[in-house]
Amino acid sequence: MLDISAWFNDLLSGNLIFTSTTLGYYWTGLVTTTQLVFLSLVIGLVLAVPLAIMRSSRRKWISLPVYAYTYVFRGTPLLIQLYIIYYGVVFFDGIQESFLWPIFREAFYPALIAFTLNTAAYTTEIFRGAIKATSKGEIEAARAYGMSQSLMMRRIIIPSAFRRALPAYGNEVIFMLHASAIASVVTLMDLTGAARYVYSRFYTPFEPFLFVAAIYLCLTFAILFFFRFLEKKLLAHLKPQTP
Amino acid sequence: MLDLQGYGPRLIEGAGVTVQLAVLSLLLAIALGLLTATAKMSRHWLLHGTATVYTTLIRGVPDLVLMMLLFYGGQIGVNAISDILYYSYDIDIYINFNAFAAGVLTIGFIFGAYMGETFRGAFMAVDNGQIEAGKAYGMSSALVFRRIRFPQMMRHALPGLSNNWMVLLKTTALVSVIGLTDMVRVAAEASRATHEPFVFLIPVAVAYLLIASVSEWIFARLQKRYDIGFGEQ
Amino acid sequence: MAATPLEVRNIKKRFGDTEVLKGLSLEAQKGDVITLIGASGSGKSTFLRCMNLLEQPDEGEIILHGDPIRFKATRHGREPADWKQVVQMRAKLSMVFQNFNLWAHMTLLENIIEAPIHVLGIPKKEAIEQAHALLERVGLTARANAYPAQMSGGQQQRGAIARALAMNPEVMLFDEPTSALDPELVGDVLKVMRDLANEGRTMVVVTHEMSFARDVSSKVIYLHQGLVEEAGTPDDVLGNPQSSRLKQFLTPNY
Repeated sequence: MLDISAWFNDLLSGNLIFTSTTLGYYWTGLVTTTQLVFLSLVIGLVLAVPLAIMRSSRRKWISLPVYAYTYVFRGTPLLIQLYIIYYGVVFFDGIQESFLWPIFREAFYPALIAFTLNTAAYTTEIFRGAIKATSKGEIEAARAYGMSQSLMMRRIIIPSAFRRALPAYGNEVIFMLHASAIASVVTLMDLTGAARYVYSRFYTPFEPFLFVAAIYLCLTFAILFFFRFLEKKLLAHLKPQTP
Repeated sequence: MLDLQGYGPRLIEGAGVTVQLAVLSLLLAIALGLLTATAKMSRHWLLHGTATVYTTLIRGVPDLVLMMLLFYGGQIGVNAISDILYYSYDIDIYINFNAFAAGVLTIGFIFGAYMGETFRGAFMAVDNGQIEAGKAYGMSSALVFRRIRFPQMMRHALPGLSNNWMVLLKTTALVSVIGLTDMVRVAAEASRATHEPFVFLIPVAVAYLLIASVSEWIFARLQKRYDIGFGEQ
Repeated sequence: MAATPLEVRNIKKRFGDTEVLKGLSLEAQKGDVITLIGASGSGKSTFLRCMNLLEQPDEGEIILHGDPIRFKATRHGREPADWKQVVQMRAKLSMVFQNFNLWAHMTLLENIIEAPIHVLGIPKKEAIEQAHALLERVGLTARANAYPAQMSGGQQQRGAIARALAMNPEVMLFDEPTSALDPELVGDVLKVMRDLANEGRTMVVVTHEMSFARDVSSKVIYLHQGLVEEAGTPDDVLGNPQSSRLKQFLTPNY
């Protein structure tokens, strides 16, 4: 153990930019980025499923509000959404007196809210597309067996839509990871924030930004392979059969 | 009535920067995308390999990180060049690192990779018989490209192109972070100064929606033009 | 005396491990109508496509008016030494394709004037006049401004023949021009081709239409597995087949 830390210090000695302190920043940044992305994706996914069902509804008064939401959030930059929530949160009456204030005063939660609302909007549209693409035959078969609308949704349409949505959702996850870099704009110390901090201290752009770029690249590939693996497992039935 | 507290003209100027930045970046991205697609379809390993590395790296790293890398790195590169000129050749010129040009280069460079994929798919969707007919009538490769492959490819590329444009448009907001005064930067500054974020940020959000709607209309018209001769009229 | 418009000698072509053309030669004198017949897989279409270098023959010569195409050796085999020469050569050999290959994004008229204007450098006005004359000839005057997708297969193929004629070619190459057509549309296309033959066009035709081969051609070549099995006048080859394979090929399968 001692050997390793000695070796490590040896490796870093003479390097001004990769010190154990800056590596600590990067680690904090990686944790923040992972938390932000993971939490917003999970909550966004949970929100997106009912929203997608509403969006697919034939009743205009149900589908239109959802469409307005996805239109606005997909049509404007995430940075604007983040600013509006980050600067705007003070304006909710009484929030500064409430027990929630210590939470919202920090940038993490406004960022989480902005990211969640953003990914939920994209995911809603991805699912809606997948729901719409359910084959007529499958629906007719379900009707013919006397399934109710809700049972059909639960047992037939949603499961098959999930699988069809998988590749597009994988892209959305990567997109969210990359989009999360703007958290650094509202003073959050995410991966990009760490790189910006190191840059501002040493005025050397190449080392910190190339380093975090490499980390993002690795994360991207990890997500890519994870979704490839999922697709292989879940979409095996869609592949042409080879005897 | 909306009181912009004197920020109105600056916001409009900012909107001009956003639109110019987006359009110029798009043109650069299209040019780079065509080059990349051609390189990717080439049988030459070096061309093919370079294009693959370019598209993979660009699509694996956040826009903002690339932007900062190119932007700050570019600044240092320019400084280094002027240092060399000064110390070695005694030429004392201050090379102005133009933030707008850097923004265009960066966004164009990033979206060139996405366009490359779009164009490659579109080129491959063109029926080979159409190209052979061109060759069989004595057209040079350049003429076949200009008269047949390009117009037929555009039809397949437009949906992806339109999609890339919408993402590119929103990506321009990021230049506000590295110091360009687009409409997002003006709005953010005004929000901080006046403590009235909604007054400035919401109109800017609406402006993005407006630009998006106009471009959607333009793309629909373009699609109609390039769809001529295919399928039912 | 004018040299032979098109002469190919000893063409060989492999796709991977299979040799599809094993040394084929052909000589088209002015006014000749040469039909290539044979079962599918005999190499007749590949042979035709080698003549204008849409396929690269591994060996053999292609000579236009005594002017041979120059080749150079590369790591991947042989390649034309001068692509400009190939491009010029192709402009003199118009090909008519099995699937018409009219350019989908252009009207029929635009299809016809495209290569004359951009390849031959004919003024646009002149090209349009000529195109209208050709359209009348193939009976498509009314369809000048239609897009290929709006026309029947037979109309498209007649349009494609008009496009080929607009190049004022020295030799016309036909690659199974009626194979993709519904039976009731074949007649119109064959009639146009007969007219061309009668006016003395030099044509090389890959076809399954035995009546066309018998009535129109000056020479019939029967290919089998990349080799010439029999060749000669239609009377000799079709009327008096020597090999059992050709006899079998000519026997209608009911």
